[in-house]
Amino acid sequence: MPKISSAFLVTAIMTTGLGLSAASGPARRQEPAPKPPAPPAATAPQMSVDEQNKLVSYYCTSCHDDEGKTGGLSLEHFDAAQAVQQAPIAEKMIRKLRAGMMPPAAVKERPDPATAQAFATALEARIDAAAAADPNPGWRPFQRLNRAEYARAVRDMFGIDVDVTAFLPPDSISNGFDNVADAQAFSPALMQGYLRAASRVTSLALGDRDAAASEAHYRVPKTSSQLERVDGAPLGTRGGISVVHVFPADGDYIFRMDLHGNACGFLFGSPAENEQLEVSIDGARQALLRIDPKMADVTDSLTMKTPPLHITAGSHRVTAAFLKRFEGPVNDLIAPISRTLADTQIGVAYGITTLPHLKDLSIVGPQHVTGVSETASRRRIFTCRPATASQETACATQIVKRLATQAFRRPVAHQELEGLMPFYQAGRSERDFDNGVATAIEAILASPQFVFKLEPTPAHKPGTTVRVTDLDLASRLSFFLWAAAPDATLLNLAEQNKLSSPAVLDEQVRRMMVAPEADALSKRFAAQWLRLGDVENMLPDALLYPYYDKSLGDDFVRETELFVDSLVREDRSVLELLTADHTFVNERIAKHYGIPNIVGSDFQRVTVPDNRRGILGQGSILVLTSVADRTSPVMRGKWIMEVLLGSPPPPPPPNVPALEATKGSAGGKLLTVRERMEEHRKNPACASCHRVIDPLGLALENFDPTGKWRIKDNEMPVDAAGVMYDGTKLDGPAGLRSALLKHKDVFLQTFTENLMTYALGRRVEYYDMPTVRAIVRDAARHDYKFSSFISGIVKSGAFQTMKNTAVETAAMER
Amino acid sequence: MYITRKHLPRRAVLKGLGVTVALPLLDAMVPAGTAYAREAPNASARKMRFVAMEMVHGAAGSTAIGATKHLWSPAEDGSHFDLTPTSLAPLEPYRDYLTIVSNMDVRNAEAFTPPEIGGDHFRSAAVFLTQAHPHQTQGSDVKAGISLDQIYAKKFGEDTPIPSMQLCIENVDQAGGCFYGYSCAYTDSISWASDTEPLPMIRDPRAVFDQLFGVGATPEARATRRKKDQSILDWISASVKRLQAGLGPVDRARLDDYLTDVREIERRIQKVEARNSSGEARELPAAPVGVPDSYDEHVKLMFDLQAIAFAADVTRVFAFKLSRDVSNRVFPETGVTTGFHIASHHNDREDRILDLAKINKYHVSLVPYFLEKLKNTPDGDGSLLDNAVLLYGSPMGNPNVHNHKRCPFFVAGHGAGRLKGNLHITAPDGTPMANAMLSVLQTLGADVETFGDATGRLDLNSTASSTVAHA
Repeated sequence: MPKISSAFLVTAIMTTGLGLSAASGPARRQEPAPKPPAPPAATAPQMSVDEQNKLVSYYCTSCHDDEGKTGGLSLEHFDAAQAVQQAPIAEKMIRKLRAGMMPPAAVKERPDPATAQAFATALEARIDAAAAADPNPGWRPFQRLNRAEYARAVRDMFGIDVDVTAFLPPDSISNGFDNVADAQAFSPALMQGYLRAASRVTSLALGDRDAAASEAHYRVPKTSSQLERVDGAPLGTRGGISVVHVFPADGDYIFRMDLHGNACGFLFGSPAENEQLEVSIDGARQALLRIDPKMADVTDSLTMKTPPLHITAGSHRVTAAFLKRFEGPVNDLIAPISRTLADTQIGVAYGITTLPHLKDLSIVGPQHVTGVSETASRRRIFTCRPATASQETACATQIVKRLATQAFRRPVAHQELEGLMPFYQAGRSERDFDNGVATAIEAILASPQFVFKLEPTPAHKPGTTVRVTDLDLASRLSFFLWAAAPDATLLNLAEQNKLSSPAVLDEQVRRMMVAPEADALSKRFAAQWLRLGDVENMLPDALLYPYYDKSLGDDFVRETELFVDSLVREDRSVLELLTADHTFVNERIAKHYGIPNIVGSDFQRVTVPDNRRGILGQGSILVLTSVADRTSPVMRGKWIMEVLLGSPPPPPPPNVPALEATKGSAGGKLLTVRERMEEHRKNPACASCHRVIDPLGLALENFDPTGKWRIKDNEMPVDAAGVMYDGTKLDGPAGLRSALLKHKDVFLQTFTENLMTYALGRRVEYYDMPTVRAIVRDAARHDYKFSSFISGIVKSGAFQTMKNTAVETAAMER
Repeated sequence: MYITRKHLPRRAVLKGLGVTVALPLLDAMVPAGTAYAREAPNASARKMRFVAMEMVHGAAGSTAIGATKHLWSPAEDGSHFDLTPTSLAPLEPYRDYLTIVSNMDVRNAEAFTPPEIGGDHFRSAAVFLTQAHPHQTQGSDVKAGISLDQIYAKKFGEDTPIPSMQLCIENVDQAGGCFYGYSCAYTDSISWASDTEPLPMIRDPRAVFDQLFGVGATPEARATRRKKDQSILDWISASVKRLQAGLGPVDRARLDDYLTDVREIERRIQKVEARNSSGEARELPAAPVGVPDSYDEHVKLMFDLQAIAFAADVTRVFAFKLSRDVSNRVFPETGVTTGFHIASHHNDREDRILDLAKINKYHVSLVPYFLEKLKNTPDGDGSLLDNAVLLYGSPMGNPNVHNHKRCPFFVAGHGAGRLKGNLHITAPDGTPMANAMLSVLQTLGADVETFGDATGRLDLNSTASSTVAHA
């Protein structure tokens, strides 16, 4: 093999993930070696092993050989006949061939596309046939309830919302998802957290007669405008905060509100006279406080307190909001910006409208506890009430049995019930019936059967494939579609051993997809897959983008969730994620997108113009792929490659200077972001990767960092044209969409892999690819509907069976 | 609430479990048990406690008048300094533990470019413990440096149940922009886990209390809690053993891990019970309701919690932000009725500078409360104060002009014998405060090559005005 030049090696190291070589072909060898004649294009319907191997050695091994190992891969010893034994490598090849990423576009000698696809097909056929004969369903350790699932379970059981972040450690994210079993570590802190959470949930659900005074703090994000009514607040108010708080007992509570001040410690928004702050519980006014415009840190502080108010136990909506004193356009000396607190100094001048803003709300109490009145959660728990002392045990047993069944997600065993009742007895003899039930509930919530999703299987020889029991299948199904415990229907079917029949599964999937709980697919699956959590961390510059504040960001996330939810409920094609012509907007978003005639804060379904179709036109994605003061075509390109095409680019080489270090102007005119990224195109070491990444992101350049449509960037016209890595011309969002649809199989496969990771609770490995391909093929017959993908996963071996392992696998971290 | 970085590697956590046998998380004893069996390999190594306290608005002593009148640091160098005219006078009873370093600069808090001019108040807090120049932004792309306390916490934090804690007194913004183009992340936090991760500060003493001692407002409530937890843990163990029957070997092993955690919690409970029944005196504060109204009370409460956290070895690192830039709080105990920020703009009038000195002195006078507690708590073969390094300073110098020269700084504690104490060092003109901080890190056993804009290490045990340059 001829010696590889060092320049090539440097390029090779930097382009590991894509294996793209530098632009110039001959430069990769010091002297051209005599080459055998190119193999003829495949004309036969199926390529023979010989033809495949010749193809690889001719086109691939010049880069992917033992010496160069471009992308960490050598194909010198690849034998298509051994594709099954070399499946991890073969799957990598299939992935790149299908995406059209290999051989790289710049390479002069390449097979014609039909041959490359035929090769991929041949590999797939061989691997799929072997998988059909001897399927590998994979394996994972048992999962435990993560934060979101724990909170949902509590809500389902007791009807209260508890902030679990106070108790449970953050979930580890693996492959983008927070429910991957082998990333779920145990620790004493976790054990502690479960104990504390159990105690806290119990005391909130039942009320706590012994509640001691403490403070609960709710902070209003400083980055949100407070000029409009917030969700849940009474009409006629603006700003402030509205939360559902669970009061532990009947008693006196003081509500303390801190207002924002300016740099000198004076009230922000002080020129406004007669401002009033209202504290209401469940919409009913409890206190009205007048705000003294002369409030200041220096004199009496910026804190306002209500007198002690008597509140009953249970969930109540608490709102602290200002009374709205005027409507209509504001005509100021300077245009108002949405992030009203971006500069609190501005409130000091006249000619500028500023209003007081709430910083945080603290609920202090209870003092003088008078007892615990009936609450909604108590009614849910006490489905019976003993009239006499002799009825107590029977009633308690009934309650404990019901709650344990719900918590353990299967009928509670007699032995388990016998283990739980002593807790009731202990609590009862300590105090009374209520206390007995409370103690038993605490034990239930701390039980491993609640917090762990254990799937016992009968003893088998190691290495065999075992089927998950119907009861456990019911749990897997409900956590997949609802992120919650199975309901009565599922449990019944499971108990009768009918659940695993394909027809029943299909029917249940259809039923579950339209249930309200199916919003988990958008809120938990799609939100993680699409990285919607990053929207919160992005804060566009207040002065460059005066129309953006945190409320808009939150609305954007809601929009995308509602959008995905609509596709699920209507069982549309998955491709509509990219192509759908509808979305959900409220007045704020509609103004931002330029959609007329939408009024109010409720979300409505609207049709969008062509350039806003699909998720690539939605604010959430556009915001999370930008930075504070400019768009980032690189981040947008990376997001598309990683999230939609399953092929993330490799990280940049070290010591790349920030874009801000490049000049912002040249020859007297300002440069656009695209022009500042010139280095990506000029420098061949950069171009090898950025030729792939940048055009994808630049196609979206008409969307500014807040997702607004623009035709100018820095006063210069936006140029959204480019050439995709496979040669397709891109121009704007429509062009990008059709280019991506040309690779729709890759997109659908990426979607399936992500959905499977979420559904299975483990990473999708090379041996799952036959299942993934089968699911996509089958979905094609059903127009790629969501239900076909979900059903495909649910009916797959990976979902219903697992390999019985004898020894610890590498996946188990010890 | 978990203050540290999100993904704590499991191995590290297990290592922390197996190697150190920490005292109960659920309750604490003051005074601490003197000897307890430890399987730690370096059990004989003394555990260094570290608190970094930030005060804002510099000091009166950093002004010209203040320097001549010795309003912050004493006139004499060495060990025979007279604290009487200074704001440090309240520390006199603890002068043996005191190392004062004067005349250091915090250059990275200055404005480097025209847009940064005027933003001192909003970036200084981020500079204090990082000694790095913060990147001016109101957006989410904040960048400063890793802070002193986090360098220590990264090295030793996993020896304790809680790696580090960050406390504050003032109600901070925690989001959005502050002024002069700086994000509030810079103004609110003094502790940075990495150069892009400012850590949130806890203001509510109850939140700190719950973290340290668990649920239960009174000792009786906590005792009841412990009993209940014990029986629940028994039930969990029995359940787990039953559940293991139907599982594969790997899952069984995983549940064994879980049982280990269960047993660890059980052991902690038993330890507390044993100590309680042995009748050792305990002075636990009752669970605070929430944030006290008075500054005095709030600061002392936070000091109480820190002292007990150290005694129980729940954590060894605190970052404590005593005030916030631009705060206009009035401190009635000083007799000065002007707000803090307004008072700091003294306009070079002597009477106003003297007022500012009164405020400085008041703040310093709160520290002996803490020193006393630490001195009276046995730890190893000395006291907690012997094994502590308490750093107090401000990144600002003369607050009227917002300069960062000749900033106030002192260290209290003997650092497990590595600090002599009873020393006033005047650093050569232009010495970066980072030099002293580099020495602090060395004292703590978390030495690093470079920190902030340090040009070398300032020897904290000698008045020889030389800086040992970097190797």
